[in-house]
Amino acid sequence: MLALRSDFRPRIAASGCVTAFGATEVTHRCLLHGRRALQDVPCLGNAGGDPVPLALVPNRTLDSPVPGSWTDSLNQLRAEIPDAPWGTDRHPVFVTSSNFGAGGLYQFRQSGCSTDLSDSTPFGSVAWIARHMRWGTTVSASSHACVSAHLGLLQASRYLEAGLADRALVFSFDYLSPFVVGGFHALKILNRDWPAPYEDRAGGAVALGDAVAFAILTRDEGDYLLAEQQLYNEMHHFTGNLPSGEGFRQSLAVLATAAAGRQVWCKGHGTGTLDAGKLEAESLRATFPGCPLVGWKGGIGHTLGSCGLVELALVLRSFARGEAPGTVGTSARCFVDEVATKPFSTASYEGAVCLSNAFGGAHAGLLVTHA
Amino acid sequence: MLERFIQSLHVEDVGEESPPDTRERMKTLFPRNSLRRMTQLGLVVGRALAHVQPKREDPLIYVSSYGETRGLEAYLESFPSPSPTLFQTSIHPCGAQQPLVAWQQPLDEFHAMTGDGDLALRGLVTALLAPASRVLLCGGEEKGTWLLAHRLASPRTFAFALALTREPVGDFYGRISLERRHTTRAASADPAVEALPDFFNRLIARQGWTTPVQQDLELTMEWK
Repeated sequence: MLALRSDFRPRIAASGCVTAFGATEVTHRCLLHGRRALQDVPCLGNAGGDPVPLALVPNRTLDSPVPGSWTDSLNQLRAEIPDAPWGTDRHPVFVTSSNFGAGGLYQFRQSGCSTDLSDSTPFGSVAWIARHMRWGTTVSASSHACVSAHLGLLQASRYLEAGLADRALVFSFDYLSPFVVGGFHALKILNRDWPAPYEDRAGGAVALGDAVAFAILTRDEGDYLLAEQQLYNEMHHFTGNLPSGEGFRQSLAVLATAAAGRQVWCKGHGTGTLDAGKLEAESLRATFPGCPLVGWKGGIGHTLGSCGLVELALVLRSFARGEAPGTVGTSARCFVDEVATKPFSTASYEGAVCLSNAFGGAHAGLLVTHA
Repeated sequence: MLERFIQSLHVEDVGEESPPDTRERMKTLFPRNSLRRMTQLGLVVGRALAHVQPKREDPLIYVSSYGETRGLEAYLESFPSPSPTLFQTSIHPCGAQQPLVAWQQPLDEFHAMTGDGDLALRGLVTALLAPASRVLLCGGEEKGTWLLAHRLASPRTFAFALALTREPVGDFYGRISLERRHTTRAASADPAVEALPDFFNRLIARQGWTTPVQQDLELTMEWK
């Protein structure tokens, strides 16, 4: 059938991620123990600069070749992706990223060596990954900064809804380089401090991390349901939100309706910035009072365009293991009492609300429930 | 079958016009404080979007292979003291975000897409799959300087915007549809390669287009 059904809700047949800790299970276990994969690294890599907290996947430095240094983590993730003719008509792939291969352009500017230029365009890096992962050519690419992964999930859902696909692979990646680390450091939100998401403290700080993740969406297979997906873009300021918190409230309203009557917990965006963190926490408390709120970027860093998919995989692992990690890196008084700083049992919860935010006042959220 | 009617269309081909000249030409479209910071791509995409008048409930699909080329070049040149402003400007969706932030125009759905030879097709399919009654497809590129010398940028600056509605209203321009074919093509049939500049030329010429999307699925763009 080639038609759109408004009541369609895709299922998640599989998901996984690779972070600086390792694959999904290892990452989940490390977060349960409150571990942090962050290390202080000069923000411009070999060129020096202030030390900032980063979580790089093993065998990578900020100056590692692009995209060659992605291979180990891609191979690790590929081992978790169920076999299927990905990248063909009935099995399309939706790739999302914030930075793609832009680190290669930085390396070129530094070295003047044109061999660094291959695969540095968005589509060039996607083509490289598609070859590496042995996908076909039915591959779409989206890039909307740190809500990118949510675009892939929504587009994949619509392909399934319209009958254009049997299964869809949503794939998201971001690897750090001085290009992006230098940018966040210039914005002053990436600094010498380590993040403490949702903590009511004097100064804000984020950490950044490498990561790659996937989710397989289907019409009727899988233990979890994407019960709602939501996007909202304030377009108020390039890096700030409406101070009133209206953007957060607008974006949460749809999810609140979908979650009505269900016991849910919340995985917030929670980078460690103060203004956005406070707006997010207060909006969540107003919308989902009493529901535990966690953020994991204090452990794995903010994995940029991939964060929505990385953290979705960790949410699903939390349901599967019966325990969700608390907010990593946060121990003192928080903006709201709902912030959970210790692990908690997921047994009594029917679903989770997962949120991401990006430049431009972009909000993306989803409600994932047991199928 | 999924179909949309081309309700409005604007193409913006700046030729060899310089960014300052483009800024001067479009100075009435944007608030002064925003105008001085906008890139040439942001300006031309903004002018195209102004013609289709985005509303919050209209999903916007933005397609660009290279995105903010000049912003990217300038940001890279700013090292070892990277510019925070140029960093913001260099991100992929910024070409469409600039005018929307200037106008303080919120949107529910904003899909920023990238790609190469299949980008126009993927953008059209994404527009056709959006459930809203009206959906906007816009896109563009910005002529590069030193990135162009390395074939990492567009040789041309242009932008376009289409407003696509589920029902025809008044004097519409044309129709885009996605439908099953009765006869399947050979297994090797791939969607036609049509880079964004080629698609832009097609819009200027109001030239029809039929291309396979899958083996048994075809996209058609036809003009009245």
